[in-house]
Amino acid sequence: MKKYLTFLWDCFRLSFVGDWRYHLWMTILTVVTLAGLYAYCQQLVHGLIATGMTDQVSWGLYIANFTYLVGLAAAAAMLVIPVYIYRNLHLHDVVIFGELLAVAVILMCLLFVTVDLGRPDRFMHLFLRFNFPMSMLTWDVIALNGYLLLNLHICGYLIYCAYCGRPPSAVFYVPFVFVAIAWAVSIHTVTAFLYVGLGGRPFWNSAIIAPRFLASAFAAGPAFIILTLQIVRRYTSHQVSDDALLTLRRIIQVALLINLFLLVCELFTEFYTDSAHVASARYLYFGLGGRSVLVPWIWTAIGMNAVATTCFMLPASRSLGTLNAACVLAIVAIWIEKGMGLIVPAFIPTPLGEIVEYTPTLHEVLICLGIWAFGLLVYTIFVRVSVPVLAGQVTYENRRPREGVRVP
Amino acid sequence: MADLHARTESDQAQNAGAPDLTRRSFLTQGAAALAGVTAVAAAVSPLRHLSAEHLPNLDEFLQKHYKEMTAEDKQRVFARISQEVQQRHHVQARLSDPPPLDGVEFVYGLNLSRCIGCRKCVHACVKENNQSRSPEIQYIRVLEMEKGSIDLETANHHYDPESVPNPDKYYMPVQCHQCANPPCVKVCPVEATWQEPDGIVVIDYDWCIGCRYCEAACPYWARRFNFADPQIPSDKLNPDMAYLSNRPRERGVMEKCTYCLQRTRVGRMPACLEVCPTGSRKFGNVLDPDSEVAYILQHKRVFVLKEDVGTIPRFFYYFDERGGRYREPVASPDLGGEA
Amino acid sequence: MSQPACSTANRARAFWVPAALLFCAVILVLNPLPFHTPVAPATPVADWVTDPAPVERPKLRPEYTVAVFDYRCSDCHRIIPSPAETDRRLTQHREIELAHGINTRCFNCHHRTNRDAFADDAGDEIPWDQPQRLCSKCHGPVYRDWQHGSHGRTNGYWDKTQGQQTRRKCIECHNPHRPTFRPMHPAPGPNTLRMGPQGHSAHAEVHDPLRLKWTTGHHGESATHQ
Repeated sequence: MKKYLTFLWDCFRLSFVGDWRYHLWMTILTVVTLAGLYAYCQQLVHGLIATGMTDQVSWGLYIANFTYLVGLAAAAAMLVIPVYIYRNLHLHDVVIFGELLAVAVILMCLLFVTVDLGRPDRFMHLFLRFNFPMSMLTWDVIALNGYLLLNLHICGYLIYCAYCGRPPSAVFYVPFVFVAIAWAVSIHTVTAFLYVGLGGRPFWNSAIIAPRFLASAFAAGPAFIILTLQIVRRYTSHQVSDDALLTLRRIIQVALLINLFLLVCELFTEFYTDSAHVASARYLYFGLGGRSVLVPWIWTAIGMNAVATTCFMLPASRSLGTLNAACVLAIVAIWIEKGMGLIVPAFIPTPLGEIVEYTPTLHEVLICLGIWAFGLLVYTIFVRVSVPVLAGQVTYENRRPREGVRVP
Repeated sequence: MADLHARTESDQAQNAGAPDLTRRSFLTQGAAALAGVTAVAAAVSPLRHLSAEHLPNLDEFLQKHYKEMTAEDKQRVFARISQEVQQRHHVQARLSDPPPLDGVEFVYGLNLSRCIGCRKCVHACVKENNQSRSPEIQYIRVLEMEKGSIDLETANHHYDPESVPNPDKYYMPVQCHQCANPPCVKVCPVEATWQEPDGIVVIDYDWCIGCRYCEAACPYWARRFNFADPQIPSDKLNPDMAYLSNRPRERGVMEKCTYCLQRTRVGRMPACLEVCPTGSRKFGNVLDPDSEVAYILQHKRVFVLKEDVGTIPRFFYYFDERGGRYREPVASPDLGGEA
Repeated sequence: MSQPACSTANRARAFWVPAALLFCAVILVLNPLPFHTPVAPATPVADWVTDPAPVERPKLRPEYTVAVFDYRCSDCHRIIPSPAETDRRLTQHREIELAHGINTRCFNCHHRTNRDAFADDAGDEIPWDQPQRLCSKCHGPVYRDWQHGSHGRTNGYWDKTQGQQTRRKCIECHNPHRPTFRPMHPAPGPNTLRMGPQGHSAHAEVHDPLRLKWTTGHHGESATHQ
């Protein structure tokens, strides 16, 4: 136990150590997080009226970000499949970064749900009366928290074993890894089922939502990791091979193609049928009754998606510059189409045919930025700590007796 | 990594015999920690504006779900609510908790031949059920529909002509249908909303966590959320309240039409029906074969909204005769003149 | 990548993080993003909107008010003889506008000799507080609906065992001389949070979804009336 506490203390001390770029990055993230906290306190004082949500559009930027991040979390652990099932050893070292990303992102998801609640002080009601299995939100609560615990255990165990200088015992993490693979698919499917099961929202009530979620997640997640791994390669002692990046590129290629295909399927079904149920799709892509705030967003997203897909298919994306640009395009495009392109249009028009548009307020945006900054902060700390520990530079044995930490 | 290695060596060299450097590093770390704590305190400083009524309250925190409350629990809770109403509005509340009546299942009928779209029902409901005036919450939404279409996309919610009815339209008020297969009840994660034996879908306002999943699930847009503190003028407060229906709500919780259970469970008509000038609204016990609603369901051309969604609403729309909607003079055959 | 400089620069550099955080704290305490409520003031609602009284308020007594005096109908009509059964203009009661469809004869409803009563099919009297017996002479199906509660207003209690149920009589909603229900000004429409501009123009393109009004003039009653 004492060793474990020392480990935690060492990790805590280690997270403050770094060069000026590290401190600058962390300070910026801290400032943005604090700004988000400030905006959330304003929301606590005034209520959810500080956001742009209304009875007509009752879910907005918070749930949009939540949906996107659940996909990111799912995909992060999907890196595990090539390594453990297909024995693709190129990715062996980077699995840990995927799992750590999953932990940080799940924390962000939980925060986004918390800031969206009207009465967060009553969250313990979830433990007292839990409408499982009827309510999909209860499935989501179990899935997300279980996933968090799974990944915390896997990462924590591997890092702690490295810290203690002993090789990790397979029985304590390999079964969990396989469970995490299945669980990763399920968290995103359950999140999709939140929306799919609602008959009153025809925009969501489609079987294709869950597969689209997974496809777009498996594009955005690895894209994020490609960018992260290059930063890890540049600023830490950890070696990341180009093969790892190229394997991730392959995953993204397939995922983006499937995503694009599913988008075409959706567009055809909506617009060829041209029934009254396509009002929401019509609002999103073309505007409805003169209201068209989302139209430029979605077409930008489709354009970026198409460009990113083309880029990834071309051999030019083997070079890191093009690859990075394509990754950024994919991440942003999928954020738009999964966030505002999925959540908001389902509410417009309302089930009674009214059109009230949604614009997030400044408070809402600041809270979202704050949570993103917090997630990046947590992830940076994870990477900052895990690289030296896994490399064996920081162990229980060679910790400095007086200060309690050594600087790698 | 070169700079970090160099830093290791320089630090080690420094620490080998430089005590004032550790004091400096202590000061730096102390200053940073202090600055961090100050910044966090500044970030949460808006909470100083949190008014007393919004601060967490131990009684509310420990309050059980309505279905688990004993009679003593209820008395305590009702006393707390009455006290809050007294403090806020200086009005003595008469809080009741009428149980569902045996052998009763409520249904509501709405005669589309007679509704003229005057919206008196909307405002009578607001008055009876202590709904917020600003921000405005109204359980009933009257739709002006195009003749020939039942597509709600063609509805106009914001009609404001000189006089209603417009002979080219028909008017369809929509409120909570207290569905027999309610999607809102299905999706609530904490069971804050459920269906009572008499058919009314109720909400325990002190249990709702405000996730608004039910609002997304409702196919009739019947549920409302308190985004801000509800504002009710004290002189317009209805003091006859029930725990599950029209007692004043707080921000952050859902609310909706409850078929005025504070009235209907003691045998009275709901407020929207009482005020309707044309008698378009019909309410009663469907299990009673002599009731008005049983007669309507048997003899009139009844339908429900969005039947395909499978909610099995307890709210029926019907047309009876054409009704006195025609405006033209009817020429009398034998007298040969205008009537 | 820069090498760590000498200790003085290190010292200076070491304090910029706390300085930045303190600066951030100062900015946040000064409330840089105040909250401005988007809530519109409450729409004023007139008293008539929530008044449940029926639109016509007949006395349900055979009385006629002239200036400030209430006369029973028979006070005058005991003396004044009944006119012949011809269609002629009224010389008294000229404020009454008879627009009852093809019912253009006063004595279709009013009793010829006893003006305190109505006339039924056989010429017998119907008391003044039982107008439904009169209206049902011609309006059979509506009367049947009214008896079962499907037509007209039922107020008070749905459960007659717990309280009194009031069924409104015909003339409490319909002016007997001009029975078409009077159009009224609607109560204020919705003005919800952050509603944005609303108006029927939003749905202008679906104004005629089933193409019923393609040829104006053919469907006379809907096209020619405003």
